[in-house]
Amino acid sequence: MISALSSTNLFLQSSWLPGLMRPEPKHPVLVESKKHFNKFNQDLPLEEYDFVVLDTELTGLNHKKDEIVSIGAVRIKNLRINLEDNFYSNICPCNEVPKFSTLIHRITPRLVKDAPPVADVLSDFLDYCGHSLIIGHNIGLDMGFINRELRRYFDGVLYNPCLDTMRMAKIYREEQWINYYDRYNLNVSYNLKHLSQEYGLPVFPEHNAMNDAIQTAYLFLFLIHKLRDGNIKTLKNLYMSGRSWRWMF
Amino acid sequence: MFSSKKQATPHLDSSVVREFLQKTLPFNELDKDTLDGLARHATIDFFPKGVKILIQDVSDVKHIYLIQKGGVKLYLQDESGQATLKDYRGEGSVFGALAIIRDSRSSLTVEAIEDTFCFLLTKDSFLKLLKTHPGFSQYYLKAFSENYIKKSFSELRKEKLPPKTEGALYLFTVKVNDIIRKRPEFISPVDSIRNAAKRMTRMGIGSLLIKDEYGKPAGIITDKDLRSKVVAEGLSYSTPVEEVMTSPVETISANKVCFDALLSMMSKQIHHLAVEDEGRVIGVITSHDILVLQGESPVYLFKEITNQNNIERLYELSMRVPLVVRPLIEEGAKANNITRMITVMNDLILDRILTLMQEELGPPPVPFCWLVMGSEGRQEQTFRTDQDNALVYQDPKNEQEAESAKKYFKMFGQEAINHLVKCGYPLCPGDNMASNPKWNQPLSVWKKYFSNWVNTPEPQEVLHSTVFFDFRPAYGHLALGFKLRDHLNILVRGKDMFLRYLAQDCFRTKPPISFFKNFLVERDGEHKNRLDIKARGLVPFWDFARVMALRHGIDETNTMVRLEMLKKGGHMPEDLFLKAKESYEFQMQLRFLNQLQLMEAGEQPHNYINPAELSDLEKQTLKGAFSVISNLQSFLKETFRLNMG
Repeated sequence: MISALSSTNLFLQSSWLPGLMRPEPKHPVLVESKKHFNKFNQDLPLEEYDFVVLDTELTGLNHKKDEIVSIGAVRIKNLRINLEDNFYSNICPCNEVPKFSTLIHRITPRLVKDAPPVADVLSDFLDYCGHSLIIGHNIGLDMGFINRELRRYFDGVLYNPCLDTMRMAKIYREEQWINYYDRYNLNVSYNLKHLSQEYGLPVFPEHNAMNDAIQTAYLFLFLIHKLRDGNIKTLKNLYMSGRSWRWMF
Repeated sequence: MFSSKKQATPHLDSSVVREFLQKTLPFNELDKDTLDGLARHATIDFFPKGVKILIQDVSDVKHIYLIQKGGVKLYLQDESGQATLKDYRGEGSVFGALAIIRDSRSSLTVEAIEDTFCFLLTKDSFLKLLKTHPGFSQYYLKAFSENYIKKSFSELRKEKLPPKTEGALYLFTVKVNDIIRKRPEFISPVDSIRNAAKRMTRMGIGSLLIKDEYGKPAGIITDKDLRSKVVAEGLSYSTPVEEVMTSPVETISANKVCFDALLSMMSKQIHHLAVEDEGRVIGVITSHDILVLQGESPVYLFKEITNQNNIERLYELSMRVPLVVRPLIEEGAKANNITRMITVMNDLILDRILTLMQEELGPPPVPFCWLVMGSEGRQEQTFRTDQDNALVYQDPKNEQEAESAKKYFKMFGQEAINHLVKCGYPLCPGDNMASNPKWNQPLSVWKKYFSNWVNTPEPQEVLHSTVFFDFRPAYGHLALGFKLRDHLNILVRGKDMFLRYLAQDCFRTKPPISFFKNFLVERDGEHKNRLDIKARGLVPFWDFARVMALRHGIDETNTMVRLEMLKKGGHMPEDLFLKAKESYEFQMQLRFLNQLQLMEAGEQPHNYINPAELSDLEKQTLKGAFSVISNLQSFLKETFRLNMG
């Protein structure tokens, strides 16, 4: 599943076309944002967009039966991380939290027992997102789970365009290739922590949705300034950066 | 419609910033609530390497920038566009605060020198903090008044405007040209002494220049000459001045600073210098003229030493050398100036000791020359450097003379060393001193030593070369020393084998920068975690200058002069020279100040510095300085083809 998603484009505007056939979503934010993003302008300077960097912790990786147990997000405004403007909530899953996942993210069944259900949290999260663009590391995975729940409860999906820092890191890495054989270097990792260390970013403890969101935000700031030697000024530039000549041959 | 924001769980809220602030001066002194308040309004920004974060006189500063990761440099630009580096700031440092406090635009340009993440604290929260926390504002005001305003702005002013009125820096800034009071007065060589004296009295001056037949100054006659050569000797007043004049006239170039004039007078033990400009004498300056400028210190000590007729009194005077040197440092003297001053003072003391000893022991059976080596030889002495000296005397004509010379100089060497120890120069642990019979020999033996070292460069010989080949004749019959130098130059010429050994020896010290750009420090012992700046930082420069000077037959021993002559002779590239000069001077300065601090704290001066105590700027400069060592070493490798077997 991951491999299928990681090959999707930088922009995961997942359901534009099928969306035309669907009934109107039930959540007012979804209705509004669908309208908004249908006539979305990609040519503004990056500073003028708001971004929400998000990360989720899950009970597992099975997109049919596993669930979200926590969601963390932080806002980027003016291309600066705004720590105060953040979102964090644990979520009470319908099923048990399996032990192996607790060992990863340290969220115990007890901890989520009193947490609100996913519909409530996502409703709040939609409010929080508003017209911001969404950023995540391997965002396809998170969005898969979020959209599954949004469909179930609100008959819609997040229409906000998504940016994947993992995809950006790959493009950045390709820009750094100096000779032909660099591309066959198998010793590369796109793990969030490894990338952060490689680029010399401040490193935070892993596997907490909030920390990982902040870590991703740092990675995004780094990449957005570094890609194309710092010449990415608009969203369109960023989109085009993924279509270098390397993809044409 | 998006205002119904979910309140976050408090323990995750901006804890990143707070934790960082808790580790950072002066924020760590604030209580948790205040920190939380500050952290809550913080944003995080990223600046790639090379980006100008603030621009001097242009940027409106809206935040305090606290560096979380990375580093920046701060510099000032004057109207001509010339940039002066002011400081480096690293992790945990703040910039932008001054502009916020003064409510002005940025007074400096700030550029990221690494990929840099900053916490941006809002102007309002910072100003509020200054109001509510007096200790906090004090920290910043203190930091500014001490480092910033004083360091950056007045430093720049000093650099740009020579402060003729500002008393402090005159010795190093006032040009000789500026203290000439009158045009030079000339007298003909055949004029009588009486006429000369009349003229000096009428004009109220202490000296006259004597014009030769081409109109050039042939000599000088001073008050002192009239006293010591005429009156005391009972000479007739009608004697022509040329018989008593001092010739040739010592001159100094008009664009030299007064400090140089002072040094020249002190080392030659004279009080008058003719000032030359484009080959023309434009005036005469006296030690008094400089004294008026200086007011206090080195000149007085100099006079006291030269007039001293009692060896025991010299012990005490020698202890005063650091005292006169200190104000020079305060006046902004560079290490190079200071070491030259100390060398001159030490030479004077040596001169007095050896002269007074000869009065006591009687004249030597054959002429001799006192050699100084090591740092003394290079004229790079700091305080209390170990003695490194030797004695060479003229080859005796027969057995009998040889016997008496041996006896005399043995006693002479031993006693001189004792006096020097009492003057505060510690014994050389390697026993490289004139009291050691091995280093107290006639010229022919010395020549043999040198030949052996050059022809069979075993490790011990190479070691000797590094100590002895920086020798400088310091007292006595200097010609003997010069002969030895000539002998060495002829010996070394074309001896690639020896030079390659010596060059090879330069690689025994690795520059103290590890692969990770941290300093290599001593791993254990008394000086654990400190850096031996002499062994690791300076020795490579000395070694480099020595081997290159030998290769090109340069007689100079001073490292800076050696490098300068190498550059002039085209033996080293200009950019390498400039880099080497800068880093060498900086390291000397650092070592010097470190020793001075130790001495003033009542400790024994040593060469170890603690990198943790250096400022960001000093650290950065030192790192740069060390990296020059690798450049020098690879230049040697190329020059001596050491990489080709």
